[in-house]
Amino acid sequence: MTLFERVFGGNDAVYGLTEAAIDNAIAQYGESQAVSFPDTAYSLPCYYAVTGVKVGTLGDLKAALGVVKTLMTRAPRLNDAFMSGVATALCAEFIEVLKYINGATPYEAPCYGHVPDAFVRNLGVPLVTGDIPGVAVILGSAPSAEEAVDLVKSYQSQGMLVTLVGGVIDQLLEKGYKTGDNVRVVPLGYDVTAVIHVVSVALRAALIFGNITPGDAGSLMKYTMERVPAFVNAFKPLDDVIVACGAGAIALGFPVVTNETENIFRVPKSLIVQEDVSKFNATSLEARDIKIKVTKIDIPVSFASAFEGEIIRRGDMQVEIDGSRMDCFELVSTKEAAEIEDHKITVEGPELDEIPVGSKISLSYTVEVAGKNMQADFESVMERKIHSFLNCVEGVMHTGQRDMIRIRISKADFEAGFRFKHIGEVLYAKIKSEFDAVVDKCQVKIIVGEEQNKELRKHANEIFAKRDDRLRSMTDESVPVYYTCIMCQAFSPSHVCIVTPERLGLCGAVSWLDAKATNELDPQGPCQVVPKDRCIDENLGRYEDVDEAIFKYSHGALEHVTLYSLFQDPMTSCGCFECICGVEPVSMGVVITCREHAGMTPLGMTFSEMASMTGGGVQTPGFMGHGKQFIASKKFLKAEGGLGRIVWMPKELKDQVREKLDAAAKELYDVDNFTDLVADETVCTEDPEELLNYLSEVGHPVLSMEPFDM
Amino acid sequence: MKDWDRLITVEEMEAATNTLLENGKKVGADSWQQRVKNQTPHCGFGEAGTCCRICSMGPCRITPKSPRGICGCDVHGIVARNFLRFTAGGSATHSDHGREIMHTLHQTKPDGNYQVKDPEKLIRIAKEWNIETEGKDIYELAHEVAEIGLLEYGKPFGTQRFLKRAPEHTQKLWKDAEIEPRAIDREVATALHMTHMGCSSLPEALVRQSLRCGLSDGWGGSMMGTEFSDVMFGTPKPVDTTANIGVMEKDMVNIVVHGHDPSLSEMIVHYANDPEMIALAKGVGAKGINIAGVCCTANEVAMRHGIPMAGNFLTQENVVLTGACEAIVVDVQCIFPALGPLSKCFHTKFITTSPIARMPDSEFIRFNAETAGENAKAIVKMAVENFSNRNKDLVNIPNQVSKARVGYSVEAIVKVLDGVANSQVDEFGTTKPLLECVTSGVLRGAVAMVGCNNPKIRPDFAHIELMKKLLENDIILIVSGCSAQAAAKAGLMDPETAKDYCGAGLKRVCELANIPPVLHMGSCVDISRMLILASELSKDSGLPISKLPVVGCAPEWMSEKAVSIGNYVVATGLDTFLGVDPYVKGSSEVCDLLTGEHGVKDWVEANYTVETDIEKLGDLMIERIEAKRAALGI
Repeated sequence: MTLFERVFGGNDAVYGLTEAAIDNAIAQYGESQAVSFPDTAYSLPCYYAVTGVKVGTLGDLKAALGVVKTLMTRAPRLNDAFMSGVATALCAEFIEVLKYINGATPYEAPCYGHVPDAFVRNLGVPLVTGDIPGVAVILGSAPSAEEAVDLVKSYQSQGMLVTLVGGVIDQLLEKGYKTGDNVRVVPLGYDVTAVIHVVSVALRAALIFGNITPGDAGSLMKYTMERVPAFVNAFKPLDDVIVACGAGAIALGFPVVTNETENIFRVPKSLIVQEDVSKFNATSLEARDIKIKVTKIDIPVSFASAFEGEIIRRGDMQVEIDGSRMDCFELVSTKEAAEIEDHKITVEGPELDEIPVGSKISLSYTVEVAGKNMQADFESVMERKIHSFLNCVEGVMHTGQRDMIRIRISKADFEAGFRFKHIGEVLYAKIKSEFDAVVDKCQVKIIVGEEQNKELRKHANEIFAKRDDRLRSMTDESVPVYYTCIMCQAFSPSHVCIVTPERLGLCGAVSWLDAKATNELDPQGPCQVVPKDRCIDENLGRYEDVDEAIFKYSHGALEHVTLYSLFQDPMTSCGCFECICGVEPVSMGVVITCREHAGMTPLGMTFSEMASMTGGGVQTPGFMGHGKQFIASKKFLKAEGGLGRIVWMPKELKDQVREKLDAAAKELYDVDNFTDLVADETVCTEDPEELLNYLSEVGHPVLSMEPFDM
Repeated sequence: MKDWDRLITVEEMEAATNTLLENGKKVGADSWQQRVKNQTPHCGFGEAGTCCRICSMGPCRITPKSPRGICGCDVHGIVARNFLRFTAGGSATHSDHGREIMHTLHQTKPDGNYQVKDPEKLIRIAKEWNIETEGKDIYELAHEVAEIGLLEYGKPFGTQRFLKRAPEHTQKLWKDAEIEPRAIDREVATALHMTHMGCSSLPEALVRQSLRCGLSDGWGGSMMGTEFSDVMFGTPKPVDTTANIGVMEKDMVNIVVHGHDPSLSEMIVHYANDPEMIALAKGVGAKGINIAGVCCTANEVAMRHGIPMAGNFLTQENVVLTGACEAIVVDVQCIFPALGPLSKCFHTKFITTSPIARMPDSEFIRFNAETAGENAKAIVKMAVENFSNRNKDLVNIPNQVSKARVGYSVEAIVKVLDGVANSQVDEFGTTKPLLECVTSGVLRGAVAMVGCNNPKIRPDFAHIELMKKLLENDIILIVSGCSAQAAAKAGLMDPETAKDYCGAGLKRVCELANIPPVLHMGSCVDISRMLILASELSKDSGLPISKLPVVGCAPEWMSEKAVSIGNYVVATGLDTFLGVDPYVKGSSEVCDLLTGEHGVKDWVEANYTVETDIEKLGDLMIERIEAKRAALGI
C-alpha cells in the first residue's frame, strides 16, 4: 500500500466515525443544540481557522462535515494527502467538541483536553524569545516507561513545551513524573483525537499573532510551517488513522519522527524513521531546525526555562530566604574593572549545609559588573532578569525583587549538592552570557547573616530610591529618543511597538530602559532608535519620525501610529499583550481586562473575545492591547482625556495597579482613591446599565468628560 | 493557487521579438522568421528520411511506385542509414568539443592561461582511471590524465573508461547488446563506414550502431567535456543570475558570448573584469563592460560565474537586433551564419574564433590555449572601442528579465540533498533523500528536459508549457541547454517564486531544500551529468535505471547532437520523448525499432516516443511515470 493510500484510508475511517458521532448527537439533542469549546473566541478553532466559518450548533457541525468531505479528494498527489490529513484533523476536532456537549467536562487531571486562548497568548513571548524553543507532540506509548520519562525530560531540560497524547501519559504517571503547564508538560488526552488540542494551539497562534484571515488556508499553513516550531514524535504501531493525522501535521510543517518500521515511507525533513527512541530528541530538533541556546552552568541540578513555573511547597523546602520577614535583597552594581575579579563567587557567613532545615534566613547577593559599554541604567534591566535566572534552576523558586525577594531551595536540591555558591554561579553565567555586549567582568558577593545584611539593605535601598527618582523624572518629553521593539515579528510579522518611558511594550516585558539596553547590546537587533524631532501633534503623540519607523519596520503594513490615542491610529498589538482596553459606549469610558481574568466584562466580551478584535499587527480603533504598567501612566489615553476614562477593571488588576493609579489620578484630576471609583466584577459583570449606575453613585470623573470623538 | 501571470510568457517574449524585428527592418536585416517562410514547405522526402544521396547514382527518393533505390536498398535501410549518419554527426561534434577541453587541460599551468581549479575532482577521476596520484604535482597529473583521456578517442582496444560509472545492470545490458562504445572516433568512423554505399542496410544493425555511437558521446566525449571543464573552471554550485533579453545593458559595453566551449568564454569573462579594460570602457563613455551569454556558452558561464543569459538558440539574432551589442563572440556549434550579414546592419562586431566554425562576414581571431589571454584581451578591447560606433537611435532593449538560480551539478545536487538529510538517521553524500521523496509519492518522478529550439515548434512554448504541466503534477525537472534557458527566461528558476507554480509536493521539496523546481544542470554536453545522476539514483535505490520514474524529453530539438543525445539517453535506460520527428517516419521498421515494444527496448529497456502534439506529449510522460510507479508499487 502506498503512503497516500494509507492516508486516504485513515481519513475515510475517521470521517465515518465522525459522521456517526454527529448523527447520534443530533438524534439525542437535536440540531439546534449548541456546541463549543470552553474559553475560546475561536469556535471551533481549527475549522474556523481553515474555513473562516464558525460552528455554533450541531446543525452547523453537520454542515461543516459536508465541507470537510470536499477536502477529501483522492488523486495520488501530495496536495490530496495533505488535505485529507487536514480533513482528518478537522474530524478529530468535531469528535472532541462533541465530548463537551451540554456543558460536560470530559477531561480530568492530569489531562487538559481543550486549552484556553489565554494559554496560547502566554506562549507568544517565550516562543519569540526562544525561552520555549519548540513544541513537542508525543503520541502513543514509548517502548518502556523509562524511555517515556527520559524523552519528556530531555525536551523539558531544553525548555520545550511537551504535549502528550495516549499511552505516554500513563507511562509518566506510572513513574510519578510531574506534569502540568507550569512545568511545560501538558497531557492532552488518551484518544488520538485529543491531538487536535495542540493543533488548535498552533492555528490560534496563527490567527492571534499572525493576523491570518480565517479561511485563508494557504497563509495559515505557511505561517505554521515558518513560525510555529512544533514537531510530532509518534510511537509505533502507527495505524492508518495516525498516518492520516501525521499527514495533517506535515501539511502544517510539523515533521513526524517515529520508531515504526513496518509499512512506512520516509520523507526527508517530514516523516523520519528513527528506531532508537533515545535519539528522538536530536532527530526531531534537527528535522525542525530548532537550535537550543546552550549555557553550561556549573551547578549540580538542571537549569532550564521549563522549571520557571515550578513551585516549591513548604514541606519540600530546605531553607527560605524571605525578604518580607528578614533583611534580604538582590542588587546589580557597576564597578570599575580593577575592582572586580572575574568569576569570583564569595559566600560570607554559613553555607547551606550549616543551616537547620526549614529555616527562614537573611541573605543578600550583589552582582558586581564592569564593562567598557556598561551604563548604570542597565543595572535595573539586569536585576529584573534575576527572577527568571534563578527560577530556571530546578528546585529553586524565586519571587519578588529588590529587598522583597523570597527564595526557596528544595530539599532535593540540597541533597543533590546545591549550595549558596551555586546561586552565584548561575548569576555569573547568565549575566555574562546574556549581557556579554556590556559586561566584561562580573563577580558575585553572597552574604548570609542578619547583622551584616541589616546595614547593607539600608545602603541598597538608597540605591533603589535614587533609581526610582531617575525613573520618575524620565518622561516621554525628557528623553531624546524612543525605541522600536519588533521582537514579536518572528510571530507577528507586521507589528511594531514604539517604546517610550511612559509607555512600555504591550507585553509588559520591555521598558524604555530595556529597549535602550537591548539596542546597546545588539545594535542591529529588534530595538532600534526612533528619533522624536518632528512632532506633528503633541496631544495625540503623532510624530513623523514614528510614522517613518512604523512604515519601515512593519514592512509597509502600517503608515501611521499615535502614541497616546485609542481612536486615531492606535498602536497595534502582536497578541502577547498583558491587558486589553475597549470602548464602553454607554459610559463613554473604557473597560480594561487582563489575561488572567477569564470572566465576562461589561462589553459582553471576555479577554479572549476582545483580544481577537486586535492583535496580529492590525489597527482596530477603540481596542488596544497594552502592558499593565501603562494603565497608571499619565500618557494612557491622553488624547481621549487620560486614565480617568477607565470605568471597569478586574479586581485583581485593580489591586495590582492601585497605588500608582491613585497617585496619577490625584495628579491629573485631583481625585482621591480613583481606583475605588473604577467598577469591577463584584459590581457588575456584563450589564452596562449597572455599570453606569455605579459610576453615577461614586461620582466617576468620566461622567464629566466630553463624549469620545469616534 | 498558481499565479502564472508572474512568469514572462511566450506571448510577451514574442512581442518583444517583434519590436526587435521592427528595429531590424529599419536597417534591412534578414531574420530566421523570414527564412522559415522562404523555406516552407520543406522537402517531404527529407522530412521522412527517405531520400538517399550517399552515392552519386542518385539521389534516390523512395515512393510507393519506386520502393527501392538504384542499389536496391529499401526504405528501411535508407531511413536507418540516414538516422545513423545524423547520430554520427552529433556524436562527432560533442566529442570533438570534449577533445578540445582535453587539449586545454593538457595546456594547464600554475601561472598559465588555464589552471586546475578543482584538483579534488581531478584526483577523483584519476583514481577512477587507475592512474597513480600519490606524490604527483597536480599539473603533472592533469597532463597525464589529459593524455589518457585523449587516447579514449582513438585507442585500438577496449571500451570507454567512464562506462564503469554506470550501474552493473546497465553495463551488462550494453555488453549483451554489443553496444559498449569503443574508441570515440572509431564509433563515428564505423558509423560512416557502415552507411557507405554497399555496406549495411539492415535497420536493426544500423540502429544498434546509432546507440553505440551515441553512447561514445554521452559516456565518452561529452562526459569528458563536462568533467574536465569542471576540473579547469570549477564544478558548478548554485549561483544566482538573471535571464532574458533585458540583461543587455543600455549604458554599458555589451559583449555576447555564444557557442559551446567554455575555454573561450571563461577568458572573455576574465578580461571583461580587468581594471584596464573597465577603465578603457569608461574612457569611451560606457559605465562598464557587460558580458551576456547565448546558447550553451551562456549556460557554462552562468553556472560558474552567474553571468546573465541573454537568450537561447532562436534568440541569437535578437541580441544583435537590440542595437546595443558591441560584439558577439562565438566559438563552435549552433551559430547562425546569418549573424555575419546581420552584424553588418549594425555596428556589431561578429567575431569567430575557432577553425571549426569559419564564417563569411566575420572577424576571425584565432583562439588557442597558449595565447588565450592575449586573444581574449584583444577581443574585449575591440568591443570596447566599438562602443562609440553604436547608433543610439537603433538601441531597443526590451525590459524583460527573470531571476534564476543555476549551477546544479551532480555534486551540488547531492549537497542540497545532504541539507535535508538527518544526521541522526541518514548517510550523507547520496541521492537517497530524493529517492525517498519519490517513493513516498511527494514527488511523482523527474523529467530530464533538454534540447534546442526549432521553428517547427513555437519557440520555447513547448519547453515552458510542458514544464508548467509537469511542475503542477509534482514532477521535478532537471534541464540543460536551450531548454534550461527557456525556463530561466520565463522565470521558472526563480528561487523565490517558481515554487508557487508547483503541486504541493514539489513545492514542499523546494521550500525544504531551498531550490527552484527546475534545476539547471548546464549545457548540452552536461547531459552527461544527468547520466551520472540517473546512475547514482539506480545504485542508491538498487533499481535498474529503466524502472525509476524518470524520463527524458527534447520537445524542440533540432541538431544532430540532439539525436546523438537521444540515443545515449535511451541506451542508458531512460524513455525519451521527442516533440520533433528525427526524420524516420518514412520507415515503419525503423519506427518500430525506436518506438516499439520489441526494438531498442528489448536491448536497453527503454525506447523513444515521438509526439508532435505538445499537450499529448506531456500527458504521455506523466502516464509513463505513473506506470513506472505502479510497477514498483509506490
